[in-house]
Amino acid sequence: MTKENVQGAGEEEQQAQSKKALKKQQKEAEKAAKKAEKQAKLAAEQQETDEDDFAKDRYGICPMVQSQQKLDRALVRVQDLTPEKAEQQIWVRARIHTSRAKGKQCFLVLRHQQFTVQALLAVGERASKQMVKFAANLTKESIIDVEAVVKKVEQKIESCSQQDVELHVERIFVISQSEARLPLQLEDAVRPEGEGDEEGRATVNQDTRLDNRVIDLRTTTSQAIFRLQSGVCQLFRDTLINKGFVEIQTPKIISAASEGGANVFTVSYFKTSAYLAQSPQLYKQMCICADFDKVFCVGPVFRAEDSNTHRHLTEFVGLDIEMAFNYHYHEVIDSITDTMVQIFKGLRDRFQTEIQTVNKQYPSEPFKFLEPTLRLEYKEAVAMLKAAGVEMGDEEDLSTPNEKLLGRLVKEKYDTDFYVLDKYPLAVRPFYTMPDPNNPKYSNSYDMFMRGEEILSGAQRIHDAQLLTERAMHHSIDLEKIKAYIDSFRYGAPPHAGGGIGLERVTMLYLGLHNVRQTSMFPRDPKRLTP
Amino acid sequence: MPMYKVKPVSPADIKIDLPTCMYKLPNIHAQGMNCGEHALQNGEVDPALKALEERQDEVLRRLYELKATVDGLAKTVTTPDADLDASTLSRGPAESVFRATADLDSLLGKDLGALRDIVINANPAHPPLSLLVLHALLCQRYQVLSSVHVHSSVSAVPPPLLSCLGPRHIDSYARQRFQLGFTLIWKDVSKLQMKFNTQSMYPIEGEANVARFLFRLLSAEPQDPVLATQMDCWIDTAVFQLAEGGSKERAVTLRSLNSALGRSPWLLGQEFSLADIVCACCVLRAGQTTSAPANVQRWLQSCQNLGHFDCVYPLLQ
Repeated sequence: MTKENVQGAGEEEQQAQSKKALKKQQKEAEKAAKKAEKQAKLAAEQQETDEDDFAKDRYGICPMVQSQQKLDRALVRVQDLTPEKAEQQIWVRARIHTSRAKGKQCFLVLRHQQFTVQALLAVGERASKQMVKFAANLTKESIIDVEAVVKKVEQKIESCSQQDVELHVERIFVISQSEARLPLQLEDAVRPEGEGDEEGRATVNQDTRLDNRVIDLRTTTSQAIFRLQSGVCQLFRDTLINKGFVEIQTPKIISAASEGGANVFTVSYFKTSAYLAQSPQLYKQMCICADFDKVFCVGPVFRAEDSNTHRHLTEFVGLDIEMAFNYHYHEVIDSITDTMVQIFKGLRDRFQTEIQTVNKQYPSEPFKFLEPTLRLEYKEAVAMLKAAGVEMGDEEDLSTPNEKLLGRLVKEKYDTDFYVLDKYPLAVRPFYTMPDPNNPKYSNSYDMFMRGEEILSGAQRIHDAQLLTERAMHHSIDLEKIKAYIDSFRYGAPPHAGGGIGLERVTMLYLGLHNVRQTSMFPRDPKRLTP
Repeated sequence: MPMYKVKPVSPADIKIDLPTCMYKLPNIHAQGMNCGEHALQNGEVDPALKALEERQDEVLRRLYELKATVDGLAKTVTTPDADLDASTLSRGPAESVFRATADLDSLLGKDLGALRDIVINANPAHPPLSLLVLHALLCQRYQVLSSVHVHSSVSAVPPPLLSCLGPRHIDSYARQRFQLGFTLIWKDVSKLQMKFNTQSMYPIEGEANVARFLFRLLSAEPQDPVLATQMDCWIDTAVFQLAEGGSKERAVTLRSLNSALGRSPWLLGQEFSLADIVCACCVLRAGQTTSAPANVQRWLQSCQNLGHFDCVYPLLQ
């Protein structure tokens, strides 16, 4: 290597070094500048907070309510915030649905059950900057107490349920704070499926909802569904009490499987085992033999069926009816269908708000019915199906697709979603069903359908111990297991009939929903045991 | 010089058993071969094939016959001095009305073992009076299972409308014992509608059209084409001018009714018919029967005396 090169290299090195050093210096300078900025900011903030927070006592997080004191304060419900209360200063307890800060203002939407109202907090003589900042940083779903003045608004607030008023907040306190990260967002949970796909926004799938049921139940749709379900139960009770029925409670821990051995849950019972009742059938009938004439019961029913369908649960609420009649089991059918029609009418007349709320997320056709209820015979149904091209035997049971097709055909001709199918073939019914007197191949049994799906299976029961024994033997049932049942008919039993419906299924079909888990608060199925 | 001859390898007359499962083609070399042999592929004529051929011949023959008939008709219709002179059509004695129970199978289709249910959706604000009269007539001829329902689209219906089809039949719990079903549903519909066999029939709309359908079930339609046309004419007059027309049109119609009834006891002559039912119902519904012309009042009285209109009067209040 030549000398010049070495020299040149040295010079280059020096230059490189100086380049590197330059770079390094630049970087350091930047860092320092940033640090200085930050410090300046902090300082400014410090200054801010140090600035006189004149609203310190008008906001904050309350200590946990341990009943420290009894405040004589009236809290107004969100649904009662109407223009009549304009200019009044009131306290409201609600959840934070959303909060949005915009410069010196913070917009909150407060929610209580299905009702929402807009609240405004602006920096001014009553609220400081720190207070607005505090409000903007509150987590969603936190429960807060707000003292505010109710103000009328010129333009309707479309996005809230209380459209004519808004709250101007004076004081804001947190009663119960929510964690910042929610497992699901309530707006997503209420979004209709199609809209979610179209606009690329999220919807929540069923499993997530069911895993976080507590939050999912807060949505407007869930509130509406379960209020309507409560209405169904109440109308059922009221109608039957008015017809002279007596409400009974039947045991759920029983010694022998009532309907058939396969689908029962076994529980250990001291030194032996017992079963969870599949239906209150046996006990309803025993009550009739005990001269109660007309009984009904509302209680859980346990079916250990390993079916993972849209309409099966392992535990559901059964609404069961049993009635003694004078001469013909149609008296009982008329009673049951009249009860159902009264329930439908009650829902149609008193729960329209709830039905509309559910329809927003799950649109469906309104439920149609006839009064008195349409009753078709099994032979007519088979003829209608055959005319529509289905091939089936006269004594074959209806498969689920055939039931749905029949529902559509009946809807087309009579325009009703609810009807009764009478005189089923004897071969497909349980052993205690009374055979038809004129045709031994048929039976005095009936099914009721809503929107093409079966909701009730009932029949005239055999009330003669001897015939019952014969039929049981014909079905190869162990007589020892049902000895107590047969015995109850040996001491004079009136002719009787009845049937039972599932509360969740009826609610689901009335609203036109597609999965029974949506109408069961904490559903149980072969794959789900919690919450 | 003789040619080279090869000794035959195999004897000339070997018998070959041809397989019977193969399809034979006619021998294109031989002539005058019996083609019949190839028709007998399987050794016998397939009877299904023969039947098919016969059916085809039959269909073709009927087609030709039909074509000939249509051509004949076309000729008679299009030529001005046709052989048929409408004015010489004899007005034969009208057969007694409602003479025989019609064959329901031929009118309504084969009985599939189920009750043949006629469903009528009507608006409670406009009860179809003529259909109620026809229902009463049907009940005299057949075993009819009648039922009245209220649809959920209507909140309440006055009690007379609920019992307009008469008391419930004692045997109504056994639907199989009836020949015909008559289901009246009070529903919020703009136009009266009848549904029968939804798979093969469109719904029929309008009270007059449903009335014509039901009247046919009584097999009481006048056979004479002139009378039939007059009947249709009266029905249309009743619907469009009496029921839907203004007071002027109603007055005109009442006058023409009056003059027609001056000549004969009933609108079509000596026999009661659908024209009388529909016109009477429209007149009764329009009200003011006491101010109607004399013949009309006499005729209304005769209708009432027949007894079929008993179901209508309670609804007129």
